[in-house]
Amino acid sequence: MMRTPQRISWLQVTALAVFCACGSSTDAPESTAVVDVELVDPQGQQVVFWYQHTRQREDGLQELIGRFNETNQYGIEVRGEYAGDYGDIYNKMMVGLQGGEVPDLVVAYQNQARAYAEADGAVDLLAYMNSKKWGLSDDERDDYVRAFMQQDQVNGQQFGLPPNRSIEILYYNQDWLQELGAQAPPTTWAEFATLCRLARDQPFSGNDDPARSLGFIYEEDASRLASMVFSRGGDFMTSDGAAYTLDTEETRASLSLMKQLITDGSAEMMGEPYGDQTEFAAGRCLFILRSSSGLPYVQSAIDAGPGFAWSVAAPPHTTPHPVVNFYGASVSLCATTPQRQLAAWLFLKWFTEPPQQAHWVQASNYFPARKSTALLLVDYIEDNPRYGIVYDLLEYGKPEPSVTGYEPVRRLVSQAVIKVMQGGDMDASLAQLQLEANATLEQY
Amino acid sequence: MVSKRTRLLHRGLTYAGLIFAGVAACTPFVWMVTSSFMTRGETLRRVLWPAALQWSNYYSAWSEEDFGLYFENSLMIAGLTVAGTLLFSLTAAYPLARMRFPGREPLFLLILATLMVPETVTMVPNFLTVSWLHRATPLAWINNWPALTIPFMTNAFSIFLLRQFMRGIPGELWDSARIDGAGHLRFLFQIVLPLCRAPLLTVGMFTFIGSWNALGWPLLVTNTPTWRPIAVGLQKFVSEAGPEVHLQMAGAMIATIPVLVLYGMVQKEFTEGISMSGLKG
Repeated sequence: MMRTPQRISWLQVTALAVFCACGSSTDAPESTAVVDVELVDPQGQQVVFWYQHTRQREDGLQELIGRFNETNQYGIEVRGEYAGDYGDIYNKMMVGLQGGEVPDLVVAYQNQARAYAEADGAVDLLAYMNSKKWGLSDDERDDYVRAFMQQDQVNGQQFGLPPNRSIEILYYNQDWLQELGAQAPPTTWAEFATLCRLARDQPFSGNDDPARSLGFIYEEDASRLASMVFSRGGDFMTSDGAAYTLDTEETRASLSLMKQLITDGSAEMMGEPYGDQTEFAAGRCLFILRSSSGLPYVQSAIDAGPGFAWSVAAPPHTTPHPVVNFYGASVSLCATTPQRQLAAWLFLKWFTEPPQQAHWVQASNYFPARKSTALLLVDYIEDNPRYGIVYDLLEYGKPEPSVTGYEPVRRLVSQAVIKVMQGGDMDASLAQLQLEANATLEQY
Repeated sequence: MVSKRTRLLHRGLTYAGLIFAGVAACTPFVWMVTSSFMTRGETLRRVLWPAALQWSNYYSAWSEEDFGLYFENSLMIAGLTVAGTLLFSLTAAYPLARMRFPGREPLFLLILATLMVPETVTMVPNFLTVSWLHRATPLAWINNWPALTIPFMTNAFSIFLLRQFMRGIPGELWDSARIDGAGHLRFLFQIVLPLCRAPLLTVGMFTFIGSWNALGWPLLVTNTPTWRPIAVGLQKFVSEAGPEVHLQMAGAMIATIPVLVLYGMVQKEFTEGISMSGLKG
């Protein structure tokens, strides 16, 4: 799953912050802090789930919801509702928290879930997870990928449960690589740069517009830069979350390489949304760095285009082992009533059980959050070998920061990348980025 | 004295500039039309013209994302908003243009000042108002037509446009109407209204387009397809992994048709309304 550009302007964010700060709390949902979860009855509750999925993923999710509604013993009825993209959902939630119009479950990135929690809109899941009657057994808890779960933990509280994750991987045109004399995808950034330059000079045989031949298309998105920084052993934040680490040697090396490739014409900045996928599928670009959740989309785009052999690999790296950027939104439980919260938890728990996870993986191409789901995916991995390649990279996953104010920092990163690529001074740009990013830690 | 050659050169440059501007304005529309008839592969390869017209894209766009329902919703929402805007803007513009009362000018300036407030800033207070009304009144506002239409039934631009036009109506007409025993309301609806045909159609056209294209607000106040407009349907052709451009453009073409038809019907009055209100460049 990739993080689509937020459509919330600074103005909107400021307006939201002002109104959230000034708004009355008289409409705040009933607190469940003093309610014993064991005594709550979820019978007959209606649960609303806001998500961002469209098309095949939405169909897959709705099928699961239908199955839950038919089979759960408590007569709980879940209604899944498309609520726009991540930005729209965040917007709806922040406004809805003030107006008292929130769902029971909502898809949320970690920093968004924290923002909801700070507005008393998201519930700590530990009370439900630890419940003897409704919670998770030790085996079940151990079955969740620990790193995924940890992303949603803040000060000992759990503000989301991960139903899935994706990682950022290198897509490459296998046929073109062979034409360039390479037998395998690049494992280092130096090899990557060499191949990009070769691709510039030797267009792919299947390219119907040989005048346009590129090694790489670089998107200014913060996740792209994070992948490159991680692969060089760097990070975006100190391990205790106290400060951003954006002005580092790893960031400089990543941006310098991109700048060189763009200057010598073997790479270019992405000019339109999904433009890199389009160019890759048309055989005009050798590599793209993208979310693993796009595998089926890329396949169908290549099938519709010239058609060629392609595959995926870990991004090039200077570390002994690959380090891949993993991300994905979790599902947060909104503060409503004890009965509705419990009903929503029961659905969430059911949704993350291996059989449902296996179904969801096949509908979405995400990675499951439960390890034992792999046993149910043997045939799927056999039929989708690229998914298998990426699955094996999961153990090398590393997340981006999950602090509340990370969203504006992502925008700051994008702006700094653009500035540097357009010829701005790297030292000054990164120093300013570091300063502004750390300033957000005090604001949020 | 300007020579014939210089005049020809000026004219040639003017036409060249106009042609360039015309082509620049039409290119996105032409791209939308051609893309709507392409296969997915053709949109990826960015060919200029489809090898064979894919009429099936229109069927797919219509049938795959509840487009019929969204289309119907958009018609209802835009229709109600236009009707409300015409009524409220007309009755607000009239006193500002034709009646004398203390504070008239400051009030008008205050209304004009709201033009400077971006829509994103008004979104939150609007939502809070609507959700309060949803709870406090018997009428369901959220997930229903009132939230989608009533907050937009009047706006400063429409009031300004109509006021400007009404100020140009000769005072003799009001004098005659008074001699015949007419009050303000009768004068407004029997004399002013028929004269305001062009600016009213202009206001109606702008309101219709604004309502038809709305996405952010409808997503905020609706959670189910029951009252969602066509822009939401178009958004659903973009998944997290990428867009389906051919279907999205076919959907966009379908969504454009009512606006084109409406514009074709009121083109003359629309141009007239713009020029009479002094808005033309």
